[in-house]
Amino acid sequence: MMWRDVGVTLILSLILPVVAQGARHTPPGKPKLTSCRSPDKETFTCWWEAGSDGGRPTTYSLFYHKENSETVYECPDYHTAGANSCFFNKNETSIWVNYNITVVATNALGNNFSDPVDVDVVYIVQPHTPENVTVGVLEDEDGPFLRVSWEPPRKADTRSGWITLIYELRVKLEEAEEWEEHRAGQQKMFNIFSLHSGGVYMVQVRCKPDHGFWSEWSTASYVKVPDYIPRERSMWILIAVFSAFIFLILTWIITLNRSSVKHCLLPPVPGPKIKGFDQQLLKKGKPEEDLLVEYLEVYVNEKQELMPEGKDLRDVGCLKSKSQSDNDSGRGSCDSHTLLMEKCGGVESKDESSYEEPELLQGQAGSWERLERGDSQVVDTPDSSDARVKTWPLVFSPSIHGSSDNHHYGTLEMPKQHSTSEITYSVPDHLFPTSTSFPHHHHPEYRDSLGEYSEYRHSRSPSTGVLYHWEAQHHPQAHSNFNIRNLERQKEATGLGLPPSRSMEYVEVQKVNQENQLVLKPLSSHGRGPSQVQFGRAVVDYSKVNGVNNDNVLLLQRQREMAEAGQYCDYREKEGAEAERYPTQQQGKTTKDGPVATQLQESTCLTTSGYVDTVPTMPTF
Amino acid sequence: MARRSQGTKLHLAVLCLVVSCHAIGLSDLMERASQRSDQLPVLGMFSFSLDSHFPPMGRVMMPRPSMCHTSSLQTPKDKEQALRVSENELISLARSLLLAWNDPLLLLSSEAPTLPHPSNGDISSKIRELQDYSKSLGDGLDILVNKMGPSSQYISSIPFKGGDLGNDKTSRLINFHFLMSCFRRDSHKIDSFLKVLRCRATKMRPETC
Repeated sequence: MMWRDVGVTLILSLILPVVAQGARHTPPGKPKLTSCRSPDKETFTCWWEAGSDGGRPTTYSLFYHKENSETVYECPDYHTAGANSCFFNKNETSIWVNYNITVVATNALGNNFSDPVDVDVVYIVQPHTPENVTVGVLEDEDGPFLRVSWEPPRKADTRSGWITLIYELRVKLEEAEEWEEHRAGQQKMFNIFSLHSGGVYMVQVRCKPDHGFWSEWSTASYVKVPDYIPRERSMWILIAVFSAFIFLILTWIITLNRSSVKHCLLPPVPGPKIKGFDQQLLKKGKPEEDLLVEYLEVYVNEKQELMPEGKDLRDVGCLKSKSQSDNDSGRGSCDSHTLLMEKCGGVESKDESSYEEPELLQGQAGSWERLERGDSQVVDTPDSSDARVKTWPLVFSPSIHGSSDNHHYGTLEMPKQHSTSEITYSVPDHLFPTSTSFPHHHHPEYRDSLGEYSEYRHSRSPSTGVLYHWEAQHHPQAHSNFNIRNLERQKEATGLGLPPSRSMEYVEVQKVNQENQLVLKPLSSHGRGPSQVQFGRAVVDYSKVNGVNNDNVLLLQRQREMAEAGQYCDYREKEGAEAERYPTQQQGKTTKDGPVATQLQESTCLTTSGYVDTVPTMPTF
Repeated sequence: MARRSQGTKLHLAVLCLVVSCHAIGLSDLMERASQRSDQLPVLGMFSFSLDSHFPPMGRVMMPRPSMCHTSSLQTPKDKEQALRVSENELISLARSLLLAWNDPLLLLSSEAPTLPHPSNGDISSKIRELQDYSKSLGDGLDILVNKMGPSSQYISSIPFKGGDLGNDKTSRLINFHFLMSCFRRDSHKIDSFLKVLRCRATKMRPETC
């Protein structure tokens, strides 16, 4: 039994392959027409692909019939176009006629028909590639360019117009990746410009009938462009070099004229000027006794009576000296009456709390600096005191030449920390008659030795400095006092009809003694002796004028202590309070200069409210 | 035949004279005409290319191209025949074909908007464009034949009998497609004839031919 099974299995295993092999022979698979093409609209070729051959040799045949007839024809030429192809020659090709084409695969076991395909020759035109593609380099005034020329494919009859071809070419540098394509229309020549100098270019051409398919690209043609400099680039190089050259020349010229260019572009801001003032002398720092003379221009009012000041003399004193001729160009903002009055009014409204005592003429050099302008200088006192006196370049006019120079009271620049400036003057009791209407203003009066009142008006600009205008008004008094009035007072005074032509006297600051007293002497021919003015302690720029002694010397109080030693006016209770607030920088030197001070104290009523805005420098004699 | 060739030569001489005397020469006219005719197959191709939307069954039932209404007109079948045709005949053939399509284009343009096809809007605009081109080409050819002489003015009349495209949706689509295929072929013919004519008439510009 087992043996039989094994035998059957063996036999089956031997037979089955044979049988199976026999079973592989089938009729052929279905062929398929892949494409038909006509290169010239006169002939065409069809290709097909074979299906499975069914294990037997299979033959393929193509049959067709034209649209109008039922006659079936077989392919005339199977070989010309290669394997699995059928070539229709001119005689067999009709145009504008549908061909119904079928391919049959036949083998021993059967045959198989492909699907029929309708073909009209006019729709399947695809020419060959253009021939004779030549590329040449030609020269132009702009540089070299490529000229590409070609010919139509041999088979296409363009001469008669039977077939119309349009061309296209593409070009690229050998190492580039992207092609640059150009349509050339029906022409057989094309120019390419803007070449890379020294590059190698590849060119290809193809063509297409007016209604049909594009041909293949022709084989690439190589061409080398000779080296050259592009005209456009050379022009730009020229322009760049020229511009650089001009730029260099301009820079050189500007460098040579640096200062004048700067002057033209950034005109210097005119600084304040004091006419007749010699800045150079200031800067030199040397005491020039004859030239560096500061003067207090003192107005002497001949008409006015000495009037006691009924008002309490506040510390706030706006001093302003009227200047007859207002021709100073360098004046600050303190020029106008109204401006000054506003300031004075503003100042007056403040309490003493805001009052700061100017430090003036302290013994220490540092303190002086606060009074200084930018370029003040230190002048040695003639008695070689340690105290440094700064000259007041702005306040006093160094020129003695006339009253017209009263403009040279420049601005004292206050240090910024001194927001208020008040000047108090110690004034005698006898006040100016018009003072009654201004309770808050005090107008200290000072008498000069002549018994004339002099008015000092002090104006102050809030920001930059203080203008000192000194006027001396002569009063027909035995002793002259300086009236320090505020602006309003001044106005009133003018309203009172002060004579416009007041005589002015210059007071010459002779020296500063060791106690930092400004020694003044009038410059007139009175031949008065030097007066001493003590600088009172005050805010940086202020010193209190104690009074004017008989010698017409303005005594400026340096410290509060000075005043204490002297007489206080009755109405000056406040001063005591004020006094405490004044930080006195100067600790020593409270001693008075003996004879003069005594003189002062006896003769005058010191008003602490009058402060002279001190000039940083003092003349020395 | 001899007379014919003599007439052709005479005609050519006349053509050359005509060309030299007139501002817009024959060659220019031919150039323009062929440029115009070049567009026809392109436009006709558009509608035809929407082949995929037509039902496959339609291909079997599609009328044969020989059933185009212009098939009665005898035209050259290959290049030799075409090159043997005279200019007058060529121009006559072109004009006849062009004229034969005026009515069918009218029908197509009226039927296109309601065509059951997704791109019937595009088809409709293309057909309108076709009509414009056809009209301008026809006018140009009329001017051309005036320059060419009286013997070229013969036109064969080809009537168009198709009333409408059909009743049902399928037949409408099929008939539309069939008409467009007929037009496509005829536009190719017109274009070819005029380009042959152009090359033949413009001996002065051999580079174009």
